[in-house]
Amino acid sequence: MPALTLRDALLRGKRRPRRFGAGSPTMYRGDGYEFVELRAYVPGDDVRRIDWAATARAGELQTRVVLEDVALTLAVLIDDSDSMRVGRERSLLAAAQEAAHAWFATARGGDRLLRVGSDHVGAPHLPVATRFEIGSALTTARAALRRGTALLAIGDWYELDDRHDDLLANLGAWCDCTALIARDPWYDALPLGGFVRFSGAEGGTLRAYVGKRERAAFAAAVRAREAQIAQRFERAGWRAGALLESDGVASLRAAFGVGA
Amino acid sequence: MSFDRPWLLALGAIAVFVLTLLYRRAQGRVSAQALRYSNIAFLRGALGARDWMARSLGAAWIVALCALAVGVAGPHLRLPLPVADGSVFICIDTSGSMASTDVSPTRAAAAQSAARAFVEESPPGIKIGLISFSGDAELISPLSANRESILAAIDQIPAPNGATAIGDALRLAASQFPPAGHRVVILITDGVNNTGVDPQEMAQYLGDHHVPVYTIGIGTANGDVIGGEESTIDENALESYASVSGGAYARAQNATELRDALARLGRETTIAQQSVSASLGFVLAGAGLLIVTMLSALATGRLP
Repeated sequence: MPALTLRDALLRGKRRPRRFGAGSPTMYRGDGYEFVELRAYVPGDDVRRIDWAATARAGELQTRVVLEDVALTLAVLIDDSDSMRVGRERSLLAAAQEAAHAWFATARGGDRLLRVGSDHVGAPHLPVATRFEIGSALTTARAALRRGTALLAIGDWYELDDRHDDLLANLGAWCDCTALIARDPWYDALPLGGFVRFSGAEGGTLRAYVGKRERAAFAAAVRAREAQIAQRFERAGWRAGALLESDGVASLRAAFGVGA
Repeated sequence: MSFDRPWLLALGAIAVFVLTLLYRRAQGRVSAQALRYSNIAFLRGALGARDWMARSLGAAWIVALCALAVGVAGPHLRLPLPVADGSVFICIDTSGSMASTDVSPTRAAAAQSAARAFVEESPPGIKIGLISFSGDAELISPLSANRESILAAIDQIPAPNGATAIGDALRLAASQFPPAGHRVVILITDGVNNTGVDPQEMAQYLGDHHVPVYTIGIGTANGDVIGGEESTIDENALESYASVSGGAYARAQNATELRDALARLGRETTIAQQSVSASLGFVLAGAGLLIVTMLSALATGRLP
């Protein structure tokens, strides 16, 4: 059996939270020709798609999932602010761009590729001149993207809070949204001890004592933050995963539950 | 606060400034201990914000240097301290009018009770002497730091009888005092001087020799009649004795007021503003803090 591609996973709605009523989680299913899989009937499924032979074998209703040969719109929204320009070996932004390339690489002829900035949507190769701002970028995406667009949003999401929940949910219902959350470079452990001077990527400094207690508190806080952001996205109907500095492509595939 | 060598204080301030600059530069060279982080606000919360430790060490460094600089400059503090070599004479009137009962049980008994309160309230080490006076002055107890003997001597004060020789009592006290040191006279009387030397002159003499006279007039406003004669207080005279000598006058109309007045004098007249050298304290505190700060800084990687 050939390995599942990112495109397949996207079309099948893999790992997309079931939030918007019963039925298939994918936005791209229709009266297509390409058989994808059999799965248990979910109330709301089109009864014409029930496979009676398979139902007889399984003893319960089975639905045939087929795909249309659809032309996708693939959009990417990347937080390219200074806070993404930190990392151990390389910057998180480099990993984000790597993931974005892989995302666009899933495109086939006829697909449309877009890059979402804070105040405009344009071709992926065009530079984004304006400074990234979460609220503006999400609002722009909701206003400019067509329904059913596959949106990949990558950032560290430090500024994401309750004010964005409605916007996230709205966008999650409108598009097939995936969020990659930049994993803290020091997710495993802070490398320094004693008095450490920290300089902020977006300004500010901190001189703090880092001991065993601080390291443990930091590790717990970093994990909790990443988990909370992922929950926030999933509640809004987004698929969520972690962006690892070491491998943007693997991070993207992991978010879709697709192996290497 | 005063200083023996104030110029050293200015020098110390410059040294503190220069050493603080060097300290900060030393910190700046600890490049291995610097880390770029994406979001300082999050980091501050995640670490539990113990950046106060870093600030405390920096502050301790400056405080330690300042304490050393102040200590070397020879600081002196003026503090209210018990007088180690103080001498106090209590002069108690034993004239006939002191038998009056307007102050319960009698003025004489109330005066003796108040003298006991004074002895008990005064700090250890203070020498106290006792003089009684009527027609003339009598030394009941010479200056002594032995509280028990002084309290026993109070019981030896003779019964009220005779005239009032305030000046003689002051002269006797003046003759008994040591030539120098903290010296105070406390005069308890209910009457007007009517025999002996002029108390005004003696008060002036004592004042000239830095011996204040604290006078206490005892008796009610209406006074009393003893042997057909009215017993009154010459308050103007008592105030004058006090003012020319640098002391103070107080009126006691009952035993409680008298006791309180003497107990207060027992505390106030035996404590004086004294200049104390604080060099050793500042130097030791500064050196101790400096050592702790240096060790902490080295142990925690704040210094290379």
